[in-house]
Amino acid sequence: MANIMNSLYNMRLLDDLSRQETVIHKLHPLIKLLTTVSYLTVVVSFGRYEIGGLLSLFLYPVMVFTLGELPVKPIFLRILLVSPFIIGIGILNPFFDHQIYLLGGIEISRGWVTFLAILIKSGLTVTAALLLIATTGMDRLAGALRMMKIPRIFVLQLLLTYRYISVLMEEVARTLRAYSLRAPRQKGVHRSAWGSLAGQLILRTFDRAQRIYEAMCLRGFTGEYHTGGFKEIRVWDLSYFIGWVFFFAVARMYNIPMLIGSLITGVIR
Amino acid sequence: MSHHKLEVKDLHYSYPDGHKAVKGMSFCIHHGESVGIIGANGAGKSTLLMLLMGVLFPSQGEVCVGDVHVTKKTLPMIRQSLGMVFQDPDDQLFMNTVYDDVAFGPRNYKLDEKEVEKRVLNALELVGILHLKDRAPFKLSGGEKRAAAIASVLSMQPDILIMDEPTAALDPKSRRKVMELLTSFKHTKVITSHDLDMIFEMCDRTIVIKNGEIAADGVTSEILVNAELMDACGLEIPLALQNCPVCGITKV
Repeated sequence: MANIMNSLYNMRLLDDLSRQETVIHKLHPLIKLLTTVSYLTVVVSFGRYEIGGLLSLFLYPVMVFTLGELPVKPIFLRILLVSPFIIGIGILNPFFDHQIYLLGGIEISRGWVTFLAILIKSGLTVTAALLLIATTGMDRLAGALRMMKIPRIFVLQLLLTYRYISVLMEEVARTLRAYSLRAPRQKGVHRSAWGSLAGQLILRTFDRAQRIYEAMCLRGFTGEYHTGGFKEIRVWDLSYFIGWVFFFAVARMYNIPMLIGSLITGVIR
Repeated sequence: MSHHKLEVKDLHYSYPDGHKAVKGMSFCIHHGESVGIIGANGAGKSTLLMLLMGVLFPSQGEVCVGDVHVTKKTLPMIRQSLGMVFQDPDDQLFMNTVYDDVAFGPRNYKLDEKEVEKRVLNALELVGILHLKDRAPFKLSGGEKRAAAIASVLSMQPDILIMDEPTAALDPKSRRKVMELLTSFKHTKVITSHDLDMIFEMCDRTIVIKNGEIAADGVTSEILVNAELMDACGLEIPLALQNCPVCGITKV
């Protein structure tokens, strides 16, 4: 139970972080969203064996972390949360792809290379998404999504889900507490109660959804979600976006680490 | 001002399962009045509020706000002049910050962002939680949540405030604060509650509901001391008027 309540309070860390006033935080939300989307596209577009090219893309999260003055540890922990899924997806690669790959004279199976590529790619994409929320906040992000003409129903769904996760978790915590108090010496919930517990929760969810919708209607809600005005996109915002897109494009076309490497080795010679 | 009047004429409502929740209620609440609506659980208080707000529509009879009938067409107008504070603030605070929540109503009425800001800050100041404007609603205490919920309604500048159990689940000090806050408003107020002491202090007029019908409607100080009536309606006279448990002095 304590775990659920703790994660509840930790969950809003990203929101708290998004209220800082750094260079990155002050950027226009739409610009940050577009930059993140282009970053994700570039990261995903790399082939299975192109680890070298991916390395230069580490620059983006590092820059955002630094300029946005974000704490590394809590965000890193959140990335670890998704790692079991990623490992689950990639772990079979080394067993199926047995071709040999030469890395600085050492022979390794190509499966391990693809596994590593998956790890890096997912690490980078998840980090980028988390950084976007931590520097923009859910509300402004929703506003930016609306500016991109994403249908309002999806945006609203996203926002309300985000808001009510906490209420649902409180409800779950309360139900579980009530259960555990009357079911001593049991680990977790016995399977005979799973159905009714989940059923109760879903019924309560319906009830609450109905009441929230009524509360929204009473305050003039007609289906459109208004986030309030945004500031104009400034030249600085645009140059931030263009700068990064240029860098992503270069990083995609040229293997920057290799170029730097050969440059250095060339100089040494 | 006639447009602050709230009139209910021969109101009937049945739920889809056939349960008759409201059976022929009629009353008129005038500008500036503070009216308490009391009754046992299941007497029909919440249904009545839903009918007043146009969340439900009566099967017979009508609700008029000012001279306007509550119908689907007039709802946007009606809801601007009626503000309702829900019993559970968590139902009412659905945005990610208190500021956005209070701004939700004004923004829906497409007010200019400057005007929205003015109204939000004003409402937050009025309920005394201006310092909480950037906090997430779920991190607030019960009393703070209640205040935020009230602010979210005040920002729409309603003429009539309708409140469902405004003091429920509050500690004594927070309860007192909410009561002082509500007393300071000049709006027409309709309050449903089981907190009869609060009704006794805050409302000049009380309507008692029993099984979907009006059992009594009159001056609070006369109705709430009527032990026989209270008992018949599943209620009790306010605790403050009951015999003192220490010295045993009879008050009424």
